[in-house]
Amino acid sequence: MKAKRYLALTRAGVIEALQFRASFIVMVIGNLLYLIVVYFLWKAIYASAGSDVVSGMTFSDTLVYLVLATALFNFMEMYAVWQMGRDIQSGKIVLDLLKPMEYRRYLFWSFTGTFIMQFLFTFLPTFIVVAAVTHGAIPLGINILYFMISVVLAVSINYSIDFFVGTICLYTESIWGINIMKQVIVLLLSGATIPIAFFPEPLKSIVYYLPFQSIYNAPLSLLLDGSPSAEKVLTTLGMQLFWCVAMLIISKAFWKASLRQITVNGG
Amino acid sequence: MKRKGLRFYLHIYRKILAQDIKSKMSYRADFIISTIGMIFTNISGFVGFWILFRNFPSINGWSYHEMLFLYGFSLVSITPVQCLFDNNWSLRQQVYSGDFIKYCFRPINLFFYYQSEVFDIKGLGQLAFGIGTIAYSWSRIGLAFTPLMLLKLIVFLITASLIMIALQNAAAATCFWIQNSFYVLDLAFRFKDYAKYPVTIFSTVFRFIFTFIVPIAFIAYYPSLVILRPDEIPLLSWLSPFIGIAFFFVSYKIWMRGATRYSGTGS
Repeated sequence: MKAKRYLALTRAGVIEALQFRASFIVMVIGNLLYLIVVYFLWKAIYASAGSDVVSGMTFSDTLVYLVLATALFNFMEMYAVWQMGRDIQSGKIVLDLLKPMEYRRYLFWSFTGTFIMQFLFTFLPTFIVVAAVTHGAIPLGINILYFMISVVLAVSINYSIDFFVGTICLYTESIWGINIMKQVIVLLLSGATIPIAFFPEPLKSIVYYLPFQSIYNAPLSLLLDGSPSAEKVLTTLGMQLFWCVAMLIISKAFWKASLRQITVNGG
Repeated sequence: MKRKGLRFYLHIYRKILAQDIKSKMSYRADFIISTIGMIFTNISGFVGFWILFRNFPSINGWSYHEMLFLYGFSLVSITPVQCLFDNNWSLRQQVYSGDFIKYCFRPINLFFYYQSEVFDIKGLGQLAFGIGTIAYSWSRIGLAFTPLMLLKLIVFLITASLIMIALQNAAAATCFWIQNSFYVLDLAFRFKDYAKYPVTIFSTVFRFIFTFIVPIAFIAYYPSLVILRPDEIPLLSWLSPFIGIAFFFVSYKIWMRGATRYSGTGS
């Protein structure tokens, strides 16, 4: 009975996503363009480098990493901060709070429809194309399983961070500024724009202890390693699990404490 | 009807601007957070560059400081579109809801009146950051500083800014013909991120596209050459002011054509 409530939200999300086909096409074009720019940029960068391997990454390593990071971003980014911010500003959040479901869960499940659509139509095709074009840059073995577990944890961490930042909107009533800050920090420190392997030393170690690298860098490093050592798998997944639980508790507690503060203008 | 002069428009612009700033100032927290968010975006772009050049000494014959100059140039030249033409983002809703009709009944230029209504102050943070980056890289490269160079810089910056304005105008104007133009606008806006790379990194086909079809190479690359490589300035660099003006004029015509076609929603 309980699962049915959630799946109804998923279904609504899928139907909603199917309504916006034109926007979908433009999104795909935008993505292709981005990938083209990334390809040429890194090609030029490696051509000027003088050596094939820089910081342990070859050109194709870097490219596969960045392409898949973009695909992961498109699949995982749900713009939850925007949604929460808009709901808070318009006052719609009051209605959502009255629903017989926890707001945090309601919001998450209403995004799952888009999730499924994004996974099927952006992540999966990109993955298959990259796997086919590069002939074995993505090893197909037990690492796929680790990758899948890692992505599930990453989705959860990403959502918790979004939810935490969205809660800040209750106080500031500024959506754009808060959202852009979050996006910039996550994209840079998670390795989605520049692989973390390139980061200079003190920064690299610091970044490893932050939750952001668990979103993109952790699943990708598990995926691209054909025979990862047990130690690597355990530390990566363990770190992710730690952040998953920690961010869950923090974001929940913050939300609970903030709800008492809420002021809603109309609705 | 008598044609209104430039002095008249400047006078009106000051008045409308004052009203807009007053209303913005009533949301002071939002203004401060948005400005910080903007600065964050720029700092992260800067950090990205820095990390990249820690690993690679140059890109396609462009040194770190030359790339920084290009980056600063692109930041400054996309500031006008951010500050002065931000109302393009709400054109879609105004047209959809029918509110746009109010602009059609004023005895002044429709395009001017519409764009003058919003001034986005947070762009000024970006302007300051861009100017700082240009000044820093200018002194590190060891370029001579003469009044003539400064004049060139200013003229080329202003005309380069017209390119991004033109792209955004044309993209925003699509809402007069198609329903959901947000994605077109978003796509056009994303092009600005690609302007900070030298166009020579691309293959011939894309170099052609980025020069003549979506002319983002004129946002920073071609005009920067006038300052950075004074010994070998290509013809396109000298042409860039005229190309900026031409593209702006075309986009203005598209925008106005769409606007005069608008017949309201009947409400």
